[in-house]
Amino acid sequence: MKLAVVVQRYGADISGGAELHARYVAERLARHASVEVLTTCARDYVSWRNELPPGAEQINGVTVRRFLVARPRDTNDFGRRSLLVFERPHSIADELKWLDSEGPASFDLVRHITRVKADFDFFVFFSYRYYHAWHGARAVPEKAVLVPTAERDPAIGLGIFGPVFRGVRAVMYNSFEERALIQSVSGRQGPGVVVGVGSAIPERTQPWRFRKKFHVKRPFAIYLGRIDENKGCRQLFAFFERYAVMYPQGLDLILVGSKHLEIPRHPRIRHVGFLSDEDKFDGLSAADVLIMPSQFESLSMVALEAWALGKPVLANGRCDVLRGQCVRSNGGLYYLDFEEFAEALYALEGTGPLGAILGANGREFFKRHYTWPVIERKYLEMFERLKREPAGAAPDPLPGFFARRKRTLPPGREVMNTAPAGPVLR
Amino acid sequence: MAEFNVRSDSVDVEQIMRQIRARIREKRGADYTEQELQQLASVKLEKFLDPRGVRSDLVDQFRRHRVVSPEPPKYEFEDTTLYETHRGPLRFIRKLLHPILKLFINPNPLIHALHVQKQVNDEFHKRFRQREEMDPLYYEVVHNLVVEITRLGIEVHNLRMRAESLSSRMDFDERRGRSLESVVQYRPQPSPQQQQQPQGQRGPRGDHRPSAPAPAAAPAGNHTASPAVSAPADGNGGTAPVIPAPSPAGPGGAPQQGNRHEGGGERRRRRRRRRRRPGQNLADSPGSAGTAGPIGAGATTRTEGTAGTADAPGGPDFDNDGPDGDDGPDDNGAADQ
Repeated sequence: MKLAVVVQRYGADISGGAELHARYVAERLARHASVEVLTTCARDYVSWRNELPPGAEQINGVTVRRFLVARPRDTNDFGRRSLLVFERPHSIADELKWLDSEGPASFDLVRHITRVKADFDFFVFFSYRYYHAWHGARAVPEKAVLVPTAERDPAIGLGIFGPVFRGVRAVMYNSFEERALIQSVSGRQGPGVVVGVGSAIPERTQPWRFRKKFHVKRPFAIYLGRIDENKGCRQLFAFFERYAVMYPQGLDLILVGSKHLEIPRHPRIRHVGFLSDEDKFDGLSAADVLIMPSQFESLSMVALEAWALGKPVLANGRCDVLRGQCVRSNGGLYYLDFEEFAEALYALEGTGPLGAILGANGREFFKRHYTWPVIERKYLEMFERLKREPAGAAPDPLPGFFARRKRTLPPGREVMNTAPAGPVLR
Repeated sequence: MAEFNVRSDSVDVEQIMRQIRARIREKRGADYTEQELQQLASVKLEKFLDPRGVRSDLVDQFRRHRVVSPEPPKYEFEDTTLYETHRGPLRFIRKLLHPILKLFINPNPLIHALHVQKQVNDEFHKRFRQREEMDPLYYEVVHNLVVEITRLGIEVHNLRMRAESLSSRMDFDERRGRSLESVVQYRPQPSPQQQQQPQGQRGPRGDHRPSAPAPAAAPAGNHTASPAVSAPADGNGGTAPVIPAPSPAGPGGAPQQGNRHEGGGERRRRRRRRRRRPGQNLADSPGSAGTAGPIGAGATTRTEGTAGTADAPGGPDFDNDGPDGDDGPDDNGAADQ
């Protein structure tokens, strides 16, 4: 079996959620099939500038073929078009221009996919909302498997994505909430499975090493990831400062990751910067609890890593996916406001009985659903099934010149708001 | 603080969250709706009204530094302004050449724009003056608000402390009540003969027991009897409650019932108990009446064995509740804690 993984960026040092997901999946599937990664020369997800050389290279034993991005993103233009398609009635032409503006517009990549269509059994497209996935999936619908990594944002309500969701052969969802959302906005009925992604969990961690290296003496909660307002860190800081006043003997907060937001100067909040995987896992195992303040997650790999290490998670309850995972796994608590944050964090302190039990549940949940053998099996079973079953109908063709320009589509946000919300509990 | 009922490994996160929410509701007394919370959150006055961040002499400072801005220069601009001069012939020539000037440029929009600008300046200056006059009033209002908030803050703080104090006292009382309930014992209904036992009867050890009213009898026909917490003062006139305990059957098989007296013998027994080693109850002590069982046949209301039970660690020491001032609720409370 020959597979192509198509993703917007790819590299050993690229740590974005969907990109890392793609790399893990590519490297794992390479054990069972011949895998080639098709991607762009971009490294920066904001500008999509060509920073890496075009052509083929090997990364961790997987062939990676890069293609030039035709033009970098004009952020002003993208912002203006986003406002139009998300907030006002618009046309299909507006949405297509928005997609071009979002990028990474790599015509070479799409042309290559069309050219080598016959060489591969399946094309696995990551991140539905980008140029490569939309055009690529339309170029090879009968071989397209989509890993949408969809979040509850207005882009999911755009009209151009419905035919793609319905037209691809299979959809590999990250969570039950994502599946409910996509099925609701697109009406997809075809094959699909909730897979998610595993993680490279070390067999042994050394919490004391982290404590010694960073001179950590008190018990602490940990946040792992980009320290960014979009990740809910501002709210986390505000909540934690109030929690620290309420519980002077409570947990400290240690932040791990690159800083894109001013961190308040507080004796119980500490930023240790971006860490190696070894330090990261040591830190996670030394922590009492992992805090996930992000409201927009299609799947939190960090939460899965915490569960894999037997640590409970305190998640933002406004994120349906995280809340659903906490409830389904019985491996973490969630909060909607400060009071719940403080009470839940207090309850999860390592000295209490609850944290250990939730952590153990989380570990079981991880073993059952997110270990690599389970994930690989789900992918391979899906490929086998698709080989057996005939391909469905191709995606609906785009309407004609004038129909495409009729501003009859509702705003993306309006469509998103009509989709069912809330976690899938059971 | 929060106590979660985690009974086994099969925890339910939703149930824990319900417990957490119940605790939050309990803490803040009333549950706000999400909408109310949003409204409260939208009032971003908290920082501004933080009394620690506002100078106490705010209004004075403001008045001292208050500077009335000077009036900006005024100018008039009409359609004749461009041609004005104090020389009459020159003005005439300019007016005469005006059509020629208009061949090259059209000054009318410029004149109009400057005329409008003059009106705008006047309006702006008028509003600016009004604003300057209003500023002291705003500061007065803010200052008063800050003072009020400070006062309320102190009041809230005091109330919170009172609430915490009351809460801890209530907790203590509740625990004490629970511990009392756990050791309360029931007295069978005394027979009429026993109730009419002659007062001033001597005890088996020769203690002279002063007369005392009989403990409140249980309702007739109720053999299990109600908890005997209604005992009146003991013979020494103490007011501490006496919890009679059911006596073991006497030699005749009938429960022995009598008045509880605080005679000298009782005091001696109490002293003996105090001297006893910690952890050793009356039954362990040599020659204890508890082991003897029916020692107080027909005379004592409770056997020493029962007293030993009451003295057990964690239980209240009823004998110490006597009038000798040896009441020890703190001891019991601490033991329960």
